[in-house]
Amino acid sequence: MTAPAVSPARPAQGAPTRPQPTQAGPPATMDDAVAAYHEYVAERLTELRQHVLALRANVGNGDVDSAMQAWLDAQQAWQSVGAAYGSFGDLGSAIAPGSRGLEDGAANPDFTGLRRIEYGLWHGQGAGELIPVIDKLLTDVDALEAKLPETAVAPSDMPLRLHEILEDTQRDHLSGRGDQGSGLALALARADVDATQEVLDMLRGLLDNLKSGFPARLDGELAALRAAIDATQKDGAWTDYAKVALAERQAVNAALGRALESLSLVPPLFSTD
Amino acid sequence: MQLQRRSFLIGAGGAAASGLLSATAVRADDAPEASSDVVGFLGENQAGVYRPASQQQSACFAAFKVLSRDTAELKALLQKLTVKATILGGGHGAGDALPSSELSGVDGAPPVNSGVMGEDIAAANFTLTLGLAASLFDSPVFGLAAKKPKGLTDMKVFPKDQIEEEWTGGDLILQLCADSTDMVHYALRDIMKATRGQLQLQWKINGFHNRPRPDGAPRNLFGYKDGIVNPAQDEQLVWIRGGSGQPSWAEGGTFMVVRIIRMLVEFWDRVGLGEQDNMIGRHRASGAPLGKSKETDTPDYASDPHGETVPLNAHIRLANPRTQETSGSRMLRRGYNYELGVDLNGNMQAGLIFTSFQQNIQEQFEATQTRLANEPMTDYIEPFGGGYFFVVPGVQKDGGFLGEGLFA
Ligand code: HEM
Repeated sequence: MTAPAVSPARPAQGAPTRPQPTQAGPPATMDDAVAAYHEYVAERLTELRQHVLALRANVGNGDVDSAMQAWLDAQQAWQSVGAAYGSFGDLGSAIAPGSRGLEDGAANPDFTGLRRIEYGLWHGQGAGELIPVIDKLLTDVDALEAKLPETAVAPSDMPLRLHEILEDTQRDHLSGRGDQGSGLALALARADVDATQEVLDMLRGLLDNLKSGFPARLDGELAALRAAIDATQKDGAWTDYAKVALAERQAVNAALGRALESLSLVPPLFSTD
Repeated sequence: MQLQRRSFLIGAGGAAASGLLSATAVRADDAPEASSDVVGFLGENQAGVYRPASQQQSACFAAFKVLSRDTAELKALLQKLTVKATILGGGHGAGDALPSSELSGVDGAPPVNSGVMGEDIAAANFTLTLGLAASLFDSPVFGLAAKKPKGLTDMKVFPKDQIEEEWTGGDLILQLCADSTDMVHYALRDIMKATRGQLQLQWKINGFHNRPRPDGAPRNLFGYKDGIVNPAQDEQLVWIRGGSGQPSWAEGGTFMVVRIIRMLVEFWDRVGLGEQDNMIGRHRASGAPLGKSKETDTPDYASDPHGETVPLNAHIRLANPRTQETSGSRMLRRGYNYELGVDLNGNMQAGLIFTSFQQNIQEQFEATQTRLANEPMTDYIEPFGGGYFFVVPGVQKDGGFLGEGLFA
């Protein structure tokens, strides 16, 4: 089936700018950074919940275009949490698992969460099939929000997150393997860059102490990546990555690869072994 | 070289065993690599063309888009590639020091290499050959238009070509060759990691060179000995020399043509031997020109003007009519066989990575390809990718780098 002509209107800058954590400069200690991250995640989850409620209303009204937009908003909010590689444990995994490892893939009844909703929306499914999935998602978001205050983010997680959010981008989004029909990998990649930038900002002072000038280099590489991703937009709409012209894809892939090589030095820089 | 016991047991009779012994110039797949299997990097010309004398067993042809943003970045990229060519080609022991540019300077950083070759990396006759495409010279980013070698164009599309876009293009090609498959993989991976953000793969294909069966030139996937006839270096058909009208920085370089040619092997196997022999112009078993007995025998077209022995449209006769006028259109062929999975029709996707080196693409490769336009073999082959490149001159002294002349 052909993808609907949805072109979710996002500002070219991607995710909206957000209030900075309640501190003047970047966090000075890892504990401060973790606290800032907690606060940041709580805000993103509140947004996520609002988008999922909108999604539920749109699906209930049979307004497919708005539902698709609400799904994208929700998925981007989830990307900006930076929940790469299974952070937040099972609660986190329930929000947007992929269909890997499921017999019959996306058709498997055990497939749930945001990507399941994407699959349904882009495969002509309606309220009957999707409302139960959305309700389950709301329950999972609530559970994660409730548990968040006592969910300890290990200090060692922060540098890993800074590196691995964009590994997810490469592995799941730009490979095409995570896609469930929306073809919106680039929109998600864009949110991932912002999430990486947020985490970088939280670790900036600490990282600069460890390797002077390194955060600035990362800023430059993330900016190049952001620019390469934005350059793929046509009239403010995202294009299916497989349909983006090769030269533009090469620019995105190159900028992402460059950033990943640098980001892979972050965890060892923070390591105390 | 060490002959493995297993090899002897396979060749049961005395004749078979002596055949094996006579082929010992060729490396057995299971022979250990010697640390002496090193092809010097420095020289007037790049390696991977005439050096080493015996073509390596494995190759990768990797064409890249160059994403450097200015001339300085391009220069740094070429310097990086030169360092890589030197280290990879020199062999590298676990305890050997690496230049600081190879190290991240971060304790506990991911390993400096993939480990695919183990701790001590035997060069296995590794060579890196760098070629630049017309698009690199044409790019306004680098301002190299005045340096562009004459006759470096995009690959021409010939009448029976079926070009697939995803198998063409690229600003720069690396031909990586070695006598082990893992070394070729290791080298590409290592180079790509070191140039991330600057080089982005456009297309790549791996190739293999067969061992002689039973001796002489190895066979291609049609079962024919291939690479029997090639101009020697001193015939001066390959390297650009002074007075050629090329920019002086290009002297010592050569043009490289890569054509990825699918071979319809299932169809070929349904054709009688006589017809196959006539299409090629050689006997399949011996590799000898039709009417002769040894592969090294020279076909005598002058006394066969009507093609009664070697048909006038046989591949070798059209490719090289052996006349005075066509003598200058000969070239060095250095191809590899490839296999790529399954075609839609269920056939094997396999063929030849045709690679030729010459001073002049138009007068050598294109003139030959044009003569071959309607040869009977065209029904059995489908060129679908590749490109034209300029192989820059070699690096003559330590501290120099590939393509240095571009910046002089
Ligand atoms: C899949 C495609 C091809 C196959 C299977 C093939 C096969 C062969 C074989 C079996 C020989 C005889 C052995 C030898 O002298 O090395 C040969 C010779 C030769 N081929 Fe090809 N070839 C192919 C494509 C080409 C192309 C594209 C060209 C150049 C445009 C070319 C040019 C030559 C030349 C110049 C010779 C040497 C002829 C001589 O000097 O006697 N071949 N080829």
